[in-house]
Amino acid sequence: MSTPSGTQAAAVRASATSLVAGLRAARLPIAILCTLVLFGLIEPRVLSLGNFRNIAIQASYLAIFAMAQTMVILTRGFDLSLGYTVSLVSVAASMAMVAMGGGDAAILWGLGAGILVAALIGLANGLLIAGIGINPLVTTLGMANVVMAFASTVSDGFPVTGLPPGFTAMFAQASVLSIPVPILVAALVFALLFLTLKATRFGRSLYIIGANPRAAVAAGIRTMPVLVVAYMLCSVLIGLGALLLTARTGSGEPNLGGNLTLEAIAAAVVGGVRLSGGEGGVGAAVLGALFITVLSNGMNLVQIDGYLQQICLGVIIIVSLIVSRDVRR
Amino acid sequence: MLEVTGFTKAFQGVVALDNVDFSLERGEVHALLGENGAGKSTLINLIAGTFPWTEGSCRIGGRPVASLTPQAARENGIAAVFQEFSLVPDLTVLDNLFLGREQSGGFFLKRRQMRQAAVDLLDDLGFHVPLDEKVAFLSRAQKQMVEIAKALRTRPEVLILDEPTASLTDGEAEKLFSAMAVLKGRGVGIIYVSHRMAEIRKLSDRVTVLRGGKKIGTVATAEISDDDLIEMMVGRPVEQLFPKIEQKPGEVRLEVRNLTTADGSVIDASFVARAGEVVGLAGLVGCGRSELCRAVFGLEAVESGTIRLGDKVVERPSPPAMLAANLCYFPADRGSEGLAVMRPARENATMSALRLPSLAAGPVLKFWRENEVIRAPLTELALRPMAPERRVSAFSGGNQQKVMLARGLMKPFDVYLFDEPTVGIDVGAKADVYNLIKRLVEGGACVVVSTSELPELVNLASRIYVMHEGRVVAELGENERSEQQILSHYFGGKA
Repeated sequence: MSTPSGTQAAAVRASATSLVAGLRAARLPIAILCTLVLFGLIEPRVLSLGNFRNIAIQASYLAIFAMAQTMVILTRGFDLSLGYTVSLVSVAASMAMVAMGGGDAAILWGLGAGILVAALIGLANGLLIAGIGINPLVTTLGMANVVMAFASTVSDGFPVTGLPPGFTAMFAQASVLSIPVPILVAALVFALLFLTLKATRFGRSLYIIGANPRAAVAAGIRTMPVLVVAYMLCSVLIGLGALLLTARTGSGEPNLGGNLTLEAIAAAVVGGVRLSGGEGGVGAAVLGALFITVLSNGMNLVQIDGYLQQICLGVIIIVSLIVSRDVRR
Repeated sequence: MLEVTGFTKAFQGVVALDNVDFSLERGEVHALLGENGAGKSTLINLIAGTFPWTEGSCRIGGRPVASLTPQAARENGIAAVFQEFSLVPDLTVLDNLFLGREQSGGFFLKRRQMRQAAVDLLDDLGFHVPLDEKVAFLSRAQKQMVEIAKALRTRPEVLILDEPTASLTDGEAEKLFSAMAVLKGRGVGIIYVSHRMAEIRKLSDRVTVLRGGKKIGTVATAEISDDDLIEMMVGRPVEQLFPKIEQKPGEVRLEVRNLTTADGSVIDASFVARAGEVVGLAGLVGCGRSELCRAVFGLEAVESGTIRLGDKVVERPSPPAMLAANLCYFPADRGSEGLAVMRPARENATMSALRLPSLAAGPVLKFWRENEVIRAPLTELALRPMAPERRVSAFSGGNQQKVMLARGLMKPFDVYLFDEPTVGIDVGAKADVYNLIKRLVEGGACVVVSTSELPELVNLASRIYVMHEGRVVAELGENERSEQQILSHYFGGKA
């Protein structure tokens, strides 16, 4: 394709490609707006300022979990222990705070304990998957069981109460520059991970490993440490999200994780993170989280039955998988 | 029967096909020859109606046709078999053959009639494919046969075959050729796209050569030599395909002694390679030369033996250690081990260079410098199109190879291991690879080429090691390296 204006033509093609890419990237924002309007027609409260604020706060928790999943989905993995990690972190952090006196001075101990527990779970996942080479599905599913058992045992199955009042005030109710803390934390995590993926060797390695692990090895990328760090990072972020959720509920909940595993994976995949690795980013995870939140918020407000909501969620994941497969052909 | 004039196609401003005339007679096999990116695919896609042409006119059976869609092309008797299969993997062969053209009587499909028609169709072609097998379970060759049978179901007058033998064994190809002869006898015109000179010579009546989107010429196959055809295709004489390499063997850069791999694919192998020379590794596929290269680079577990790089013995070879020690290895299978094809060319070119000072500051990746760093290597290798942001899978085989080879130019390496450097790439890209090797060697690097292409060994290497069943069975020097000499050791004969 040699033309006199080769470079110019290439530039035209590049800008055309980016236009198409731009439209494709706008698919989800458009879907989010449509969903809002659709539910708004049935129930006007959906479109109120107060509800928007609600959606933003709710979405920020899910966004953190979706971004955490993205870190490992990019490498062809996922973390099925997410939900129970949330539960165990919640229980462990709460028990630490209660044990340290339950005053505001104990908050730091709670944060430390929560993050430490999460990091250990991530380390175990990472070593089993990258060190020994066990399939991520089996590893994290097994880990989910272990973590669930821990969470129930240490808490005896009851919520841990008596948390420092400052904990909820600081991490759930406070605002900085009138931005609620959960949104702020999610934004910070986003900025940090965005830079990590774009501007670090670790970030680039995640993509290459996910796109073709054998090629990554042959290119001299040390895949083992990269994967271990990816699973630890994923877990620590899950821990962070768990702490924020604990602050919101005001107690350590052994059942806090609930449907979060599926929702987080769904958010990432709906957003456009490729489930078989190598493609996507944290922006996609955030948009996906927003979409799922808008959807479930709308379904709640128009009073759709809880089980029906679950069915909708499942269908959306499957449809988005099919659509993304077609788009990539 | 089919006549197009002045066909031009531009994709978003890039001209892929430039003012090309092409005609096809009844009962003629007309070959299309050209390198990857020459415009062959564009031309056949225009004729098949995949996308509209930008300029030009088309006559089918004497009637002018204003535009073509896939549907219109079919109605005009044009059928195409492309390299990418259009079959549905989860349906049976029978279902696929009749997909979208099911014969129904009332509500139910006429299964029995469809089955009989399918049997007739396949028998006619001499293809043996189980009708009730799901397509997913077929071999590539069988899929190809189903695809051809499907195209012929509409009784086309023009059949387009896009590299149909690429996935066939010789026996299967023979069947295809005899089927083509039958169709030809019936007056079907066939447009045949292939890289393979022998097939073009055997099958075609005329050849049209394209290069860079332009038509170079149409000639009667019987009246032109292979060499002249290649020259038309690449734009330079065949002798110039292999550059003259000035080899000045200097100090030993790589010395492998008594190397045995853990899986026994390499046994007690020794060789040396010096700065400023090309060393060839010859042998049948599976003789251990690939594994020898992989073991040196640290991709294959070593049981015993030593690897000396420069004046240092490498205790535990691993890819990062070898890259850091200035040894660069290019895998034989770029798809499975060389490239992350869904990622952009840019990322693939820098994949092994993420620790170089030009791109790394501690853990930070200087992504803002990446385009600058890859520009010179990709320009030198003449990547086409020069689109570093395009995903690698969208490039032709030769250009994918160039993306991988660009890694070797990210810094000056002392030793380069090439494993099958030209497998599956077209003649023009081959010449580019040879020129790269020339430049590296003349710049003082040590190059090891493991290849199954004898001409490469004879024309590039100053010394050749022949391997057989994991062992090095012969070393051939400057004066002994003829194709016959090399072949005489292929089956284990000692020198």
